[in-house]
Amino acid sequence: MNLNFIKTICPYCGTGCGIILQVKGGRAVTTLADRSHPVSRGGLCIKGWTAHEFIHHPDRLTKPLLKKNGKFKELSWDEAIGLAADRLKETVKAHGPDAVASLSSARCTNEENYLFQKLIRAGLGTNNVDHCARLCHGPTAAAMAYALGSGAMTNSIADFSGAECILIIGSNAAETHPIIMGEIYKARDNGAVLVVVDPRRTEVANNADMHLQINSGTDIPLIDAMMKLILDASLENREFIASRTDGFTEMKEYLSQRTLEELSRECGIPLEDIRKVAELYARAREASIVFCMGITQHACGTSNVYAICNLALLCGHVGKPHSGICPLRGQNNVQGACDVGALPNVYPGYQAVADEKNHAKFAQAWGRDLSRKPGLTVTEIFAAAGTTVRTLYTMGENPLLSDPNQGHLMEMIPKLDFFIAQDLFMTETARYADLVLPAACYAEKTGTFTNTERRIQLLRKAVDPPGEAKDDFSILCLLLKAFGLKGDYADPSEVMDEIAALTPIMAGVHFDRLGTHGLQWPVPSDDHPGTRYLHKDTFTRGKGLFVVPKYTPPKEMPDENYPFVLNTGRMFSHYHTGTMTRRSPFLDREVDKPFVEIHPADAARLGIVEGGGVTVTTRRGSIETFARITTRVMEGSLFAPFHFSEAPANALTIEELDPDSKMPELKVCAARLEKG
Amino acid sequence: MSLREEVLTRVKALLKDRRVDGVLGLSLFEKEPVPCLFEDPFDVDALVIEPKWLLAKLAMNILKTAPQEYRLGLVCRGCDDRAVTELAKRNQLDRNRLTLLGIPCTAEQARKCLCSTPYPREIVAGERVEGMYPMNDEQAQLFLTGSMEERMKRWARELNRCIKCYGCRNVCPICVCIPCKLEDDLWVKRGHIPADMVSYHLIRAFHLSDTCVSCAGCTDTCPVNIPLMLLQVSMRETLKSQYAYEPGLDPERVSPVLTEQEKGEGTLFQEPAWIDSLRGGS
Ligand code: SF4
Ligand code: SF4
Ligand code: SF4
Repeated sequence: MNLNFIKTICPYCGTGCGIILQVKGGRAVTTLADRSHPVSRGGLCIKGWTAHEFIHHPDRLTKPLLKKNGKFKELSWDEAIGLAADRLKETVKAHGPDAVASLSSARCTNEENYLFQKLIRAGLGTNNVDHCARLCHGPTAAAMAYALGSGAMTNSIADFSGAECILIIGSNAAETHPIIMGEIYKARDNGAVLVVVDPRRTEVANNADMHLQINSGTDIPLIDAMMKLILDASLENREFIASRTDGFTEMKEYLSQRTLEELSRECGIPLEDIRKVAELYARAREASIVFCMGITQHACGTSNVYAICNLALLCGHVGKPHSGICPLRGQNNVQGACDVGALPNVYPGYQAVADEKNHAKFAQAWGRDLSRKPGLTVTEIFAAAGTTVRTLYTMGENPLLSDPNQGHLMEMIPKLDFFIAQDLFMTETARYADLVLPAACYAEKTGTFTNTERRIQLLRKAVDPPGEAKDDFSILCLLLKAFGLKGDYADPSEVMDEIAALTPIMAGVHFDRLGTHGLQWPVPSDDHPGTRYLHKDTFTRGKGLFVVPKYTPPKEMPDENYPFVLNTGRMFSHYHTGTMTRRSPFLDREVDKPFVEIHPADAARLGIVEGGGVTVTTRRGSIETFARITTRVMEGSLFAPFHFSEAPANALTIEELDPDSKMPELKVCAARLEKG
Repeated sequence: MSLREEVLTRVKALLKDRRVDGVLGLSLFEKEPVPCLFEDPFDVDALVIEPKWLLAKLAMNILKTAPQEYRLGLVCRGCDDRAVTELAKRNQLDRNRLTLLGIPCTAEQARKCLCSTPYPREIVAGERVEGMYPMNDEQAQLFLTGSMEERMKRWARELNRCIKCYGCRNVCPICVCIPCKLEDDLWVKRGHIPADMVSYHLIRAFHLSDTCVSCAGCTDTCPVNIPLMLLQVSMRETLKSQYAYEPGLDPERVSPVLTEQEKGEGTLFQEPAWIDSLRGGS
């Protein structure tokens, strides 16, 4: 009857749950939960359960398309690849390699991301390759790498259930990482205290032992106050501080400059509550901090992450089981895309481009001279699009909906000489492209994804891509060949072998070792079993470093004209820019229109009713959306999910950048609300 | 011969003799189990029988989409056997097209599932073990006995975590209504979590009140660890004590919820004691 059950990995969030696609006659007809998967163990969230629904959507791109006189015309793959290579080469010749910029993809596999950055670095000679990690955990990677030596989640998902205290800061994991939330609830059932810090009364906050509803963007004052209180009560871990950290004296000096009253006023939490949480965290034998966009998407995002690391170092709650610093990664393979070098400043395995030894190693391995200059970041790429950046190549990214300040982007993209977009659908961004290459989705390819706990997992092909669409691996092989580079890889496993040879943290990763349980990096050798938690006896950088954070209050505070604080984020039934989830009938049924959350008191004052049309306006733009009246937001605050292209929340947000990681301030801005 | 080998031999024979066109069971894929429709006797060596993995609903879907003449074998445990019986009673599958290869569960498995009948009516091989009385379970005691306030608090705490994944509905072998009430705007509000306690969880529970075959699928799949099957336990106990009826055990017997209603006399079966706490007071 030709019925198959294919084990693979959910294409949505960074939890990396195991799904089984039921394939009948070449079509994925159902998704089942994988009972033997190490992370999800037979459970899935609503997105995972419907992961088959968008695969055969009629909107899928099936042929390469070239824009001529404003209209897309089909062309053959030979023509498309030839054209792409020619235009890229022309740009390099006319304006130099740095006139090309590219965005790789947190949706694509490790092997594809590796080949992509190799094409850009070795084929074109520029380091202008980045991806959307910048927009979620850029600050995390920057700060944790500096303070601890590695930007990744220190512990494992299964580790949560053994913690005594879990502090969740700026993460609504119940909606964004539901399967991880299950592990956290398990900890609570085992007696752990769950404390949530969030300006919204989120789903997680509703199920916690304590909720500190802080003022938006004031995480540093809160954490500083906690640290002061821990020191006052002599609850710091002196032995750990002495033997495993640097910079404590400076840290103490910095903390002594502010009074507890000031800090408490700033974050809006009574001192007594802060004291309680500080003591709970410090006294716990094992404690973990979980954080997400609420920490990183601020103009001082990097410093926010430093503050978290400081707190963990102060109490010695890192480098052991059940105790760690746990950033939850948003997209299915954002961890992997970073690991294999889809970043402008590092080669695969976080080996700095600017380092002469690394440069020599990769130049030799790839047989090309490489640029020594770190490349442009996502936000810098768009700032320079149409001026110094002349040609843009994006793989599976939809920046028009995910990047801040949409208006600016829409102006800049048409100024490019040539724009190549590779995607599943004609996304908001692809519409602006000159050349559109139809790609394959997760169910149509082999390769690996790396989840938020560093687990490298095998993706298995279940169905063929529609029409002439090709997986990104095959497209990249064609382009690599066009640039005279190796493009005759037999399959993605050969690419992984190449990655392993060049990347010490993945040196022992080979497809035949992955099975259905995967391997958690670092995997330094072929017989290494993988690593459950990082920084065990020594930090990756040697000693853990206390870093004095630089607090900057949110750039835009509410005023007379823009009296609301606007917050943006995700909700449970959709995912990112919605290109996949909004094409899943079941998910679309759940939520089919954009909305903004409004506190009942504000709604009453403005005469706004549940479900009524409202307009949200900021200094950058305006969207029409629908009211959802709820006490999840504080009075004077609004929350808008960013999945909806008809009401793109990023048309409203600021481009204010974190100076260290170039992260835009997506979480807070001032807004006005009107009925209708 | 081990239990697995016995099953394997039977499956091969069924396929070789063309008594069935395919057998649904589990196979090992890269050392891990995955459902598999065996159609070629040569593939059957990969067959495994562990872990417990509900297959009745898959079997139903296979029969519904396969050509009329397609006959299926199903490697099944007690719960799947009962589910098949209930599905057949509701005209969801044609028993004549289905050959069951029953296997008994271990005592440990029965404890995990709070299963009182951890074996199918007919078994291919192996030994039947005693089931357990679900109310003896510690967690069941905690959730189903004690004062109303305590139970209310406990259930509210659990159900408040629901992330509305629809997993409990998706895995339940006898949750097959089309359209599903949980997708009806009249009852369940769209786009909100947690799913409403009364309209989501109680509709689901009551819809299955006289069909739940206590397979523990709902509890097992719930990502936030809500002990969902316990919602059914006292209703099952009530049916058992008042009508000596247990879903899935007797293909000929219609649910008393239906027959008693038709008679138009007496009352419907008594409300289980615990539903007071889910009415939210009084
Ligand atoms: S939690 Fe994430 S990975 Fe798991 S099923 Fe949901 S979207 Fe997929
Ligand atoms: S309600 Fe739960 S225990 Fe009962 S049949 Fe459905 S899944 Fe099994
Ligand atoms: S399986 Fe659990 S979380 Fe999912 S809908 Fe059912 S009760 Fe809610």
